[in-house]
Amino acid sequence: MRKEIVITGLGGQGIVLAGQVMGLAASLSDHLEASFTQSYGPEARGGACSAQLIVSDKQIHYPYVRHADILVCMSQGGYDKYRHTLKDDGILIIDQDMVRSLDSAPGDVFPVPATRMAEELGRKMMANIVMLGFVTSVTGAVSLEGMLSSVASSVPKGTEKTNIAAFNKGYDLGQAMLKARTKKAAARL
Amino acid sequence: MNNDLKIVLFLCNWSPHAAYQRLQDTLAPLPVEIRMIRIPCSGRITKALLFKAFETGADGVVLLGCEAGACRYGIGTKVAQTNIEDTRGILNLLGLGEERLGFASFNPEQHREMLDYLTAFRNRIAELGKTPVEVASRAREVTLSPRSAAAISRAHNIYVCQDCGKCSSACPLALTGKEFSPRAIANAAASGNLDSPAIKEDIWSCLTCGLCYDRCPSAVSFPDFIKDMRCETSANGKFNAHEGFFHSLMRAMTSPKLPVQHWLGLPSDIQTDQNSKVLFFGGCAPYFDTFFKNHLGISTNTILIDALRLMNFFDIRPAILQNERCCGHDLLWSGDRDNFVKLAKLNVEMISALGIEELVTACPECYRAFSRDYPENGIETGFKVKHIFELAEAEIGKGAVGFSKLNRKITYQDPCRLGRTQSGCELPRSLLKRLNVSGFSEMRDHGPSSLCCGNCAWTGCDSHSKAMQVGRLKQARETGADLLVTACPKCQIHLKCAMEDPFLENEIGMEMMDLTSLLARNIEWE
Repeated sequence: MRKEIVITGLGGQGIVLAGQVMGLAASLSDHLEASFTQSYGPEARGGACSAQLIVSDKQIHYPYVRHADILVCMSQGGYDKYRHTLKDDGILIIDQDMVRSLDSAPGDVFPVPATRMAEELGRKMMANIVMLGFVTSVTGAVSLEGMLSSVASSVPKGTEKTNIAAFNKGYDLGQAMLKARTKKAAARL
Repeated sequence: MNNDLKIVLFLCNWSPHAAYQRLQDTLAPLPVEIRMIRIPCSGRITKALLFKAFETGADGVVLLGCEAGACRYGIGTKVAQTNIEDTRGILNLLGLGEERLGFASFNPEQHREMLDYLTAFRNRIAELGKTPVEVASRAREVTLSPRSAAAISRAHNIYVCQDCGKCSSACPLALTGKEFSPRAIANAAASGNLDSPAIKEDIWSCLTCGLCYDRCPSAVSFPDFIKDMRCETSANGKFNAHEGFFHSLMRAMTSPKLPVQHWLGLPSDIQTDQNSKVLFFGGCAPYFDTFFKNHLGISTNTILIDALRLMNFFDIRPAILQNERCCGHDLLWSGDRDNFVKLAKLNVEMISALGIEELVTACPECYRAFSRDYPENGIETGFKVKHIFELAEAEIGKGAVGFSKLNRKITYQDPCRLGRTQSGCELPRSLLKRLNVSGFSEMRDHGPSSLCCGNCAWTGCDSHSKAMQVGRLKQARETGADLLVTACPKCQIHLKCAMEDPFLENEIGMEMMDLTSLLARNIEWE
């Protein structure tokens, strides 16, 4: 099993943290190999940034993502810049209120209202955690238990509960969306 | 010969009685188990009277009337036929079986045929055996004393009443012009004036809707006070509506041996799983539909089916309790605590035996009874109680679910037991807002100020109830809505009854649908 994952967005959205949380879960809980690189512009907030993560059950020899299996876009800039790296059968996940996806992707596209859901939960900042829940749910790249403990240990002290709630919200949406797709596919047959 | 059998014969005074007399005069071998009651006309024996015989231990009941064309009063036989049909429906739901209720018509000269009929009926009952109904205790001692009344008043904060009158000025019953005042009742109770009509009569008029509690600055818990007073002042509860039919039904259901089977006939696409830890508790809707079939033509059983369908949509296959009883809400709220407790224990015992961890119901009264009234009366349920709306809101909240476009304008009638208990008025509204309808508008009185549908616990129904219902339906029509959404089968029954008025049909007539049905029929995966 080898997954190349790219998470992109704006500085301040917690993109790097999201990548780190996932990498931690993969290496510490799931006992996989993980490599994590990040890139961000000079601005503290608002610039484009990305986190590149590779998880694998074998050794990883090269840490940069060449053909992403999973691309998560939380900003238009990130989408424009990284869309081409996604494999033909890759999974594209976008924040539906932040990204206008022009092409219909060949693989699966999952529009997620992550920022809106985080706002409804009271903190826009948690959009990344909502997104992580969703990614965990639909891709299965890392385990749920690993992600839960990783989220709890990575977020600021005192916010564990709300972050876990945000994570679960995203996870539930992912499960519901998968269910909706299988149900619809079954209905079409 | 089994002398233990009890067969009640309601015998019409006219044709059949002549034949019966002939049998008596000729010392014909009438079955000894038959106890004859002479009545003016078979049409006068209502469903309540027919059923009361079963409630009080009859193994069989026969109604004998005149031939359809020979009824002295014209329509007696026809009315009797309808009553028999409905009561047989109820007997089938209860698992007693319609065969225990006989109905035939005879001309005066048909005494031989009558003897044959009665003998055959007696033999059939002997084959069926004794009734599984155990006679429920109905003659409890009245325990209201100055001391117990004071204890009830204390428990529900009657003594902190400031005499401000906000309750009476908000009471929907008082506003219809009825001489009824919660304040006066509170005053009488606080001053220990137990013989006043405020205590003796008015506590039976209260709707226990809880609007007064909502308005009371001192938080006098008036509905609970009324409930306890009713239980203390009556021997076996008081019931005026539908002649106590539903109270008889509930008391009959306290018999543990009764093989209730109202879940028979579920549509084949409904999936249930008897090993599930989640139970769907239906309630009395099948009985309502049967009882009101020839009058209101309501269909509340569809709420239960739609609730199951909604659960199936979310891949939840709940267990159902084959032997399900009434939750007992109406017995408790009409003053019969003993039989309520019996029913409650029976339900909890059967549900616990299934290993249930969570009970889901679509009926506000079942919800209130299980979540509040059972524990308050010392019956610990040991499982979680959830309304179908809580389940739906949680599942829909997960996302990826939408609703198909429905070209209706809707308004919503809050059931008192839902709007004024734990879940509040917000839960159904958040569901209503998810629907894809052409418009949702509130009635003039809505949410916490919502008005009762005019009746509770089948305790009483009069012109003031009707006035309330008409007023409420006018409010619903004022909103411009063409679909009145409710969440309680009783709201539908009571409001539909008011709509039957031929003079007001055009002013207050309106289609109604339960929110559960509305959700289940329009939900879809996105």
